[in-house]
This record gives sequence, C-alpha cells and structure tokens, in this order.
Amino acid sequence: MSPTPRSTAELQELLRAVRGPVRLLGTGSRQARLPAADGATALSLAGLDRIRRLDAPDQTCSVEPGVRREVLDAELARVGLELPCAGGGSLGGLFASDATGPVTVGGASPRSLLLGLEALLADGTSFRSGARVVKSVAGFDVHKLLVGSQGRLFAATQLHLRLRPRPRSEAWFERARLERDDALRLLATLRALAPAPAALHLLRGPHGFSLAGRLAGRAVHVQATLREHALREHALREGPALASLHLEATAGGEVVAGNVVGSRLPALLAAIPADARFLMHGGGRFEVALASARETDALLAALPALSTQACIVLGEPARRGRGTPLDAGHERLASGLKQTLDPHGIFV
Amino acid sequence: MLPAPMPPLERALTGLLGAQRVFCSRDALLAWECDGFTVHRSRPRAVVLPESTGEVQAVVRLLHMANVPFVPRGAGTCLSGGPTASGDAVVIDLARMRKVLQISTEDLYAVVQPGVVNLDLTAAVRHLGLHYAPDPSSQSVCTIGGNLAENSGGPHCFKYGMTQDHVLGATIVLPDGTLARLGDAAGPRAPHGLDLTALFCGSEGTFAIATEITVRLCRDQESVRTLLAAFASMTAACRTVSDIVAAGLVPAALEILDQATIRAVEASVYRAGYPADAAAVLLVELDGPAVVIAEETAEVREFFRRNGALSIEEASDAAERKRLWKGRKGAFGAMGRLNTDLYVLDGVVPRTRLEEALDGITAIGQKHGVVLTNVFHAGDGNLHPNISFDGRDAQQTARTVAAGREILQLCVDLGGSISGEHGIGSEKLDHVGMMFDAADLDVMARVRAVFNPDGLCNPGKVLPQRGACAEVAKWPQMVARVLDTGERP
Repeated sequence: MSPTPRSTAELQELLRAVRGPVRLLGTGSRQARLPAADGATALSLAGLDRIRRLDAPDQTCSVEPGVRREVLDAELARVGLELPCAGGGSLGGLFASDATGPVTVGGASPRSLLLGLEALLADGTSFRSGARVVKSVAGFDVHKLLVGSQGRLFAATQLHLRLRPRPRSEAWFERARLERDDALRLLATLRALAPAPAALHLLRGPHGFSLAGRLAGRAVHVQATLREHALREHALREGPALASLHLEATAGGEVVAGNVVGSRLPALLAAIPADARFLMHGGGRFEVALASARETDALLAALPALSTQACIVLGEPARRGRGTPLDAGHERLASGLKQTLDPHGIFV
Repeated sequence: MLPAPMPPLERALTGLLGAQRVFCSRDALLAWECDGFTVHRSRPRAVVLPESTGEVQAVVRLLHMANVPFVPRGAGTCLSGGPTASGDAVVIDLARMRKVLQISTEDLYAVVQPGVVNLDLTAAVRHLGLHYAPDPSSQSVCTIGGNLAENSGGPHCFKYGMTQDHVLGATIVLPDGTLARLGDAAGPRAPHGLDLTALFCGSEGTFAIATEITVRLCRDQESVRTLLAAFASMTAACRTVSDIVAAGLVPAALEILDQATIRAVEASVYRAGYPADAAAVLLVELDGPAVVIAEETAEVREFFRRNGALSIEEASDAAERKRLWKGRKGAFGAMGRLNTDLYVLDGVVPRTRLEEALDGITAIGQKHGVVLTNVFHAGDGNLHPNISFDGRDAQQTARTVAAGREILQLCVDLGGSISGEHGIGSEKLDHVGMMFDAADLDVMARVRAVFNPDGLCNPGKVLPQRGACAEVAKWPQMVARVLDTGERP
C-alpha cells in the first residue's frame, strides 16, 4: 500500500525520509499511462483531498491535489460554477497529466485554468508560484510547469484554479456512421463556429466516423445551432460514449497521443492503418490505437513530416513516453529544469 | 576635432549590422533611456536594431563572448521598467522585426516577428473575419514580442484570456546565441514535453529573446454591443459589475473609469462624450451570436437600472463603439494633462473586494497628498490607480513611490497581486517580497538560470538580488541623484 500523507507537513516529512526514486500518484487512474518507474516508491496524494477555498463570487477555488474531480464538480454545481476542462480522477493528476488539452478550438484547458500553486520540491522545500486571483503576472509562472509534467518536477500541494459560470443551457449531440469526407466537413464547420461548441470529439471506429459535441450557452443559441447544423440532441446528459476522452490499447497494441492542426488531419488519417481506432478532440489532441509496436514505430517515424508531435501513452511500460523527437533546444531546457528542480532525480 | 574612436564592441556590432542600425552616441541613446515607467531612467551603452533571427543570434553571440549584458526591447511601452537598460548594457531593439510571416485561416494562427504591432496584426487579418484578442491599452503601438514578454492583458482578457492563452509557440534566441523552439501551431506543449511556452510567456525578457511567435487568431463574433452607464457613486458601478458576473454573464469587457479620469479624458483629445458629472462610468462590451447578445443586453440594462444608473448609452454602430472606447483607451494619455509624469499602478484584488480596495487607495492618496485617478478592468479586479506627479520634484516623486508601495501592499493584503499585466520589471523589485518569500524566489531564480545562466539577458529585473532590495527602495533618492548630475533634462 502506498504511503498516503494527509497533510503537506506529512508529505514533507515523507519526502525527507524516503530514499531513492518516488512516483507521485493521485487516485492512480492514469498510472497505466505513465512511463516505467521500476523500483520507485509510490506516494499517493489521494489523502490531500480538501477543497481549501471556494470563492464563488470571484469564480476561483483552491484545492489539494487529491480532491476527486466529481467531488469538486458537485461543490461547484451547488454554486452555479464549473471547471471548464475535461478529465477525471484527482485534480492533481488531471493537471499533471493534461491528457486531453482543450476539448474545443480555443477552449479552456488545465494550462489556462491553473492560476497558481503551492508545492514541495523533492527535498521537501515548499514554494509558491502564481496567485489566487484571476489575473497576476508577478514572478515567473513556475506553476505552469505542473501541466503535463506527470509529477516529475515537484509535488503540488494546493492548486489555485479559475472557474467559470455553468452555462444556462447545454446539449450533447452525436452524428454516427459518417463517411470520412462528411465527418471532416462537419468537423471543420463546427470548429469554425463563433463561439465554438464547448466540446468536440471525432472518432474513427469499426463503423466509420462519429462526431460528438457539447453545445453550451443560452438556450436560444444551443437550439439554433442544433437546428442549423441538423444535429440531434443526445439523450445522455454526460454525453455519448465517445466523449470518454481516451482510447484503450488492444492486447499487444499501443496507444499514441499527439497534437495535430486541422489542416493536417487528412494527412494524419492517411498515415495511420485503415483499421486503427482514432479519436481527436476539438482542440487538436488525438489518440490512435495501433495493433503493434511495429505500427507505432512506423507512425512515429512518419509524423515529423506532418509537423506533428506524438508519443506512446499506452503499451509496454518501457516504451511509454517515447515519441517524436523534440527540438534540441527545448530538450536541453527541459532537462535543465529537471536538473535544477529535482537534482537527484527523485520524482520519476 | 575628430570624433572619439569607436570602442571595439561597438565596432564589432557595427560590423554585424551596419552603421545605420547601431547607435552609440549619447544623444541618440536618449530615446531608449526609459519605458512608460519614467521614474527609472538610464541610457544604455548602445542600441542595435536586428532584422532577423540570424542577426539577433549573431549580436547575442558577440555580447555573450564579450560578457556584456543586453536588454531586448519592443516599442518601449512597458510600464514597469522592464526594457530599461543600465549603462553597461546593450539594448536589442526588435522594432525592425515587424513581418507577419504566416497566416493560417484554416488553423487559426499567425506566425509573426516580435516587432509586429499588436493592432497591426488584427488589421492584417480583419478582412478574413479574424482578430488577435489580447488588447493592451497601448495596442496601437506596443508589439507582440513585448506582449509575450510581459504576458500582457487588456480590457478583453476578462473573456478571452491573457497573452499566454493566445501564444502557441515561439522561436527563442538563448543568451548564448543558440536557438530553442517552444510549442508550435498544433499546441504550446507536445504530449511528451513540458509547457515551456507558458513558462516563457511573462518572463519579461530575462530568459531569452523571442524572434518568431506563433499566436492564435480568433474569429470575429457575429454581434458586438458596447454600453456605457454613468453612476452617481463608485459603489454603484462596482455592484453592477458584481451583479453582471453573478448572473453568469461573461462580457468581453467590463471597464470602470472614476470621476477624475472622466474629467481628464473629457478635457483631452481623447474626449468621448462621457458624462463629466458622473462619479464613475462602466463600459460593458458583449459579443456573440446576435440572438444571445440581444438577451444579454437586456439583462445588463436591467442591472444598470437596478443600481441607479444616471444614464445609459449604447453604441449603435462601429463608429459609436469606437467613440465609447476612445476615452477608455486614451485614459492614460489624457493623464498627461494633469502633470509631467504618470505612475500607472497595476494591482489586482479579488473582484468582490474592489470597493474596499478603492476606499483604501483613496485614503492612501490623501495620506501622501498625491493626485490619484482610477481606471480599471473591473471584471478581473485589476486596478490601475494612476498617480500624476512632477518627476523633477524629488519630494513629489518620493511621495508617489511611497503611495504606490502602500497601494500594492493593500492589494496583497486583500488577497490579490502586485501586478495583473504590467510585470515586475525594475519598478516592483522591492515589492516582490510582498507576495513571495525567499524559497519561492529561489525556485524562480533557479528556473531563470536554466535559460540565462550568466545573467546577461536583461539583468536586474523581476527578482531582487539577495540583500539588494534596499537599493531599489532608494528610488526617490536615485531620482534626486540623477537630477543632481544633470542626467535628466
């Protein structure tokens, strides 16, 4: 059983006592998507599960990393607010993984909602970055390094988040069994709306293409958009199954995640095997389920020509995290940041 | 008499860029002695004007080898002393790097050089039904590079976010002259990379120099309504803002100007027809689908009425909208009528504490005997108390700086920040400790050192050097000393 500190002080004490590498976990829901951490001590932040502050009039809150998404959502719903980004599990895990990015064009994402944080370095030193208010440029935005870091730079102990009012009306829609060209045309049309739908998801499965989305705002706008684009409202309040955000790997297979701009989508679809399941969110993050490591390697080799970055997120632990080459200068800076924030390589 | 021979470094810079793009004479350097924060002035050693990434790299390599500090600069509209260089530093002025390199209407992004003026980018894509959303008040002159360095905001960031939310990537020249590419048009962070784009944004030119910037473009909304309501009290204006936000509305902008600002604007070339007898005016802009905006406008009007608005104006066309915005956008310029210098503060408080903050600011102004006006982004709780003063008067300057410090401390005490969009620069070095302790600042310094290990890139900004805070606290004395030496006219 993983040590589960209940307070920042307990976590600090544990970090000072532990010898060797540490793998930070939230609820563990994304563990299968993390690179291998053989021999690391798993340290669960699930016990840091308090909503420390909810300032409804200012539309901000402060939460500990172990707060579960559904717990926060329930609290926010009571005061007419929402955290407008996708993802479940613990809040710390959601922000540290940033697994889906924005789910629509120009939409909110963990990076845009994280106002500041309190955190511990691997040696137990605490620090703060950012602020609790919706706008602050004081100091460097070290807190933004949490997003997508997978807990490998520092351990967040409190996140300050921006919230938004819940829309007065919303509706999910789904169009299934579309031909490729029809699906891409509809996707382009919906991405071009101003305002864009609150969420958009494109899936290629065994029965062709499906497109799902969430319209939000005033009833007059939601209904008009449904009518104008011949979209039928979906019965499920939580949306159709394809809005579940991630693909699963088949036996022996792998899932690759990447970013793609809309104009490169046809070329990307042409580069992946015809029978591979493909999921893309409206903000450009995609996942593709490939049947074997060989298919993955072929795709990763082809993607730079499409100016597309991607990496393995599901598969053999040792292969997770491998991806298209990043810019050498970027790599050097990223490795310098790891070295300066966690010089002994504790967080893995 | 023959002119003095050019020192070797200046000669080498001239060899790289040509004599037309290197300035070394004392008179020529006057234009670069300060930014919009006029309290802190200093002429740099030289100014260079590169035109490409390659030229920036060549200049930076040369300065790195010579161990000479350098300061990147856009249009110099920064309000915190960020691009002001000390006498041993070379200013790398990016104003000539003003090309829009690429526009993608399909993928909604543009790649620009750092010297592109904010409003010029919108002008370049307006015919395509697109715009660049961040809109600092200085948008007609400030540059995208400067906006990136400061993580600039503006009236419309209440709905659309700050510069950081609109920057997808950047090519940066590191202080040793090497390049790094952060993010790209597909997103600011690769799935297996860190978000260095977000980290770089707002680093105030102390990490590296951005030479190509990829920004998100937004589609124009179908309908825009701009309303101006006048109120008999600041309290009523602030409560209207709270009502609008509490109702779940997200206007594109929510701006308040106080009576002193209204009067300054109405007496200036920025005259916009604001009611001069109002204690405050509230400017509300709504944008979106026409059917939605019609409903939202009715709701906003109802909030105006409930809070006792003295008058309500609604722009009926683009020209009217421009007029209503003219006063707001020109507010800082209008302050020029009040005195020779203007200290624009930039504190943030939780929106619900705006009234408390404004009362406190008034009291601080009275205590120090300074002339204070307020214009602010009410939706974000981002206050801009403006102190008009005569910078040639050391006593006035001292009172101004002291009042400014107390105002920012008040913002922090109310749960806010010492800067919402102007940055720390040199102005607030002494105030950073109000928000961050030594451990916080140490982490930030370590992060900066990854990009800028030798400290050559824009030294002396954002983070106080250990034990050096007292130096910055001496501003009034510094100004007085500068006056004594005839450094300023």
